[in-house]
Amino acid sequence: MRFLLVLALAAACAQAQTPDEGATRSDWPDYGGTQLSWRYSALDQINTTNVKSLVPVWQFQTGDYAENLQATPIVIDGVLYIITPRIQVFALDAASGRLLWHYKYPTPRPGKPGGMTFLQNRGVAVADGKVIFGTTDNFLVALNAKTGAEEWKVSVDDPRQCGCDITAAPLIVKDKVIVGGTGGDAAHRGYLTAFYTKNGRFAWRWYVIPGPGEKGHETWKGDSWKLGGGAPWMTGSYDPDLNLVYWGTGNAGGDFNDEARLPEGAKGKEANLYTASVVALDADTGKMRWYHQEIPDDLWDFDSAYECVLIDRPINGQMRKLLVHMNKSGVTFVLDRVTGEFIGAFSMPEVQTWISGITEDGKLVGRVEPQAGKVVNTCPSAAGAKSWNSMAYSPRTGYVYAPINEVCNDLRSESDQPVEGRFHANGGFTFKLPPDRKTYSHIDAWDPVTRKRIWSVPYRYILLASMLATAGDLVFTGDPEGEFFALDAQTGARLWSYQTGAGHRGSAVSYSVNGRQYIATPTGWQQAITGAQLAPLFPEQNWRTGSTLIVFALPEAK
Amino acid sequence: MKRALLILLLPVFGYAQNAGEKVFAQSCATGYCHGARGTPAGAPRLAGRGFDQTYITNTVLRGLPGTAMPAFGGQLSRADLIAVITYVANLNGIANPVISLGPGSPGASSPAEPSLSTDAERGRALFFDALRGFARCSTCHEVNGVGIPVATPISQIPANPGALRALATREVHTATLDGESMPALIVSQTKMQALFYDLTSVPPVLRSVDPGAFKIADGSSWRHDSVIGSYNDAELASILVFLREAAKP
Repeated sequence: MRFLLVLALAAACAQAQTPDEGATRSDWPDYGGTQLSWRYSALDQINTTNVKSLVPVWQFQTGDYAENLQATPIVIDGVLYIITPRIQVFALDAASGRLLWHYKYPTPRPGKPGGMTFLQNRGVAVADGKVIFGTTDNFLVALNAKTGAEEWKVSVDDPRQCGCDITAAPLIVKDKVIVGGTGGDAAHRGYLTAFYTKNGRFAWRWYVIPGPGEKGHETWKGDSWKLGGGAPWMTGSYDPDLNLVYWGTGNAGGDFNDEARLPEGAKGKEANLYTASVVALDADTGKMRWYHQEIPDDLWDFDSAYECVLIDRPINGQMRKLLVHMNKSGVTFVLDRVTGEFIGAFSMPEVQTWISGITEDGKLVGRVEPQAGKVVNTCPSAAGAKSWNSMAYSPRTGYVYAPINEVCNDLRSESDQPVEGRFHANGGFTFKLPPDRKTYSHIDAWDPVTRKRIWSVPYRYILLASMLATAGDLVFTGDPEGEFFALDAQTGARLWSYQTGAGHRGSAVSYSVNGRQYIATPTGWQQAITGAQLAPLFPEQNWRTGSTLIVFALPEAK
Repeated sequence: MKRALLILLLPVFGYAQNAGEKVFAQSCATGYCHGARGTPAGAPRLAGRGFDQTYITNTVLRGLPGTAMPAFGGQLSRADLIAVITYVANLNGIANPVISLGPGSPGASSPAEPSLSTDAERGRALFFDALRGFARCSTCHEVNGVGIPVATPISQIPANPGALRALATREVHTATLDGESMPALIVSQTKMQALFYDLTSVPPVLRSVDPGAFKIADGSSWRHDSVIGSYNDAELASILVFLREAAKP
């Protein structure tokens, strides 16, 4: 009996994370740092004491100014890989910025007019000697990581039909590469697809929306499931102990009006599964293990498609495997990632009018929904308290760090017929600044277990770049005016700042080569979509685009 | 007479403007691009910019390379192109635009949407049926600009579903790579590189390999029948009707 107990304890211990299992070290191997998506580096050469001496050591101009540089750089064995919106991939010496090879994707086939294809790319995945990425015309491409030569290429879907494409970095899990696509607000049935990394052959596909005969299908009215949206358009996470991949799904298409998609009597219940949810899938088969729907019947375009931060923390004295996830509403859910059990939720934005609150078991109360024929103002906006740009987690502080925008919108609810592959939102939104405020965003540190805000640093405009946390107790991010800066992870005190010359919309990383720690940040404000939609709120501002990677380090000892 | 002409023209103008506004709403004022009625949103304002007619026509047809503005020439029908160009011209104070899509312009080469019989329309829906995932015809065939052109354009249409299933596919060879044999559709082969579609599973994978490590033999165990299994004979018959009607000049 005692022996069994010891065995059980040993098993439990083996399953819990070591304190910084999700930390990166000399490499930055995955989109989220590691596949636990902490965006946290265990490097501490650059720290609160010496960060004031940080200087730029090299920079790389991609020359691709089609859009901004949103990609998370990947660094493996001293080589840094970065991709631009028009699918140019560069392999650089991570210590000097010297170009090793360059790949340029041929002019893609144009997507369907009025569809949801975007000129953006958020990163490559590197493993098994290959650099793998999605394209604006919906191909998944694998290059030889040493030479940049194409090895395989496969069409995930026809952008001329689905009006969708790939902007997310893929996730490589064991022998497969898993990728989602855009089309969350389009007449398109979202899915994740896995291919074998070795040869590009199809492995599995998981549809967000269950087909006839599958559980959850009954949560869709009539034929609405066929073009119901829900695309998981960002990058997931992976827990190797559980062999589960975690992904957030988009909201249902026809966003602002649920008449055509909600079955009779479904109001107020789980609806349109598995949109607006976090799901756990078996990494080998793509079979769903559990789901948690965050916003049943999402009428606000709040997309749950974002990063799943996998952390282990004690709750009531017991170590728990947790998943922290925020959708655009700013409501952040803490789930048990073994079972999907709801543990708690907290809301980061200060202005919240779309609901009056959340119950202890995670139900939304006092929903203020868009109404046909009326303009309804709600906060946060469809641009998101936070969108795809990632939060970070530090195991040293136990806090998550996120940039939060305080913007509202006037929602219009209409009723349009879905046309396959076309944008289908049933209305639209006009951004409005909330009255009686002088600052419209802030960077927050929250303890996801106690659900308490530890500190908050206000910013006058909006923030749309990802966060990077390091073991030097620093948190890095950038603003649209071009400042790239470091905050004290414990207190939020601003310790260092550098004017990079262009606005920030990308994701900074840290790595080391020959014992020297580097901080690398993409720069360039976004011309289209969210950045451009929010910029007119501040007409006196002129946030600059660009496409430059800037890399910092401490000066070398003389 | 003058009055009668006015009455005749008005509904036409009304229609053109409504049509233009509708096309604009569906193709341009999608929440992430331009705003409704040419207001600024994710993409710039279009109303009252002083654009001239040539600029508007060219931008709509050819897009703005290097930006998110796509080329709509060859993508929208001719009628929709004229309607939306008229609409944007109206937004820029050009009341009666003279629009020439011109010979050789992208709009002029736009494949006219053939009007299909009911059975062919059913066949078209089946050919592109997204609910079948990769088990649909358009995974490997492009028709009228839609679908992935893995196979060469369909030139000979089989007489019936039986012939479609039994289709001879002499262009599929057997490739051997790293000791593994696979059905392969060769795209090109030079001293430097062999480029081929690996047809082991759907969707086909375009693979690029060192020709030294690659051997090709004539013939293959691959059968067209094995990739069209999601369709029954009645469905295949409708698809053949669609292909016949779509192939008409």
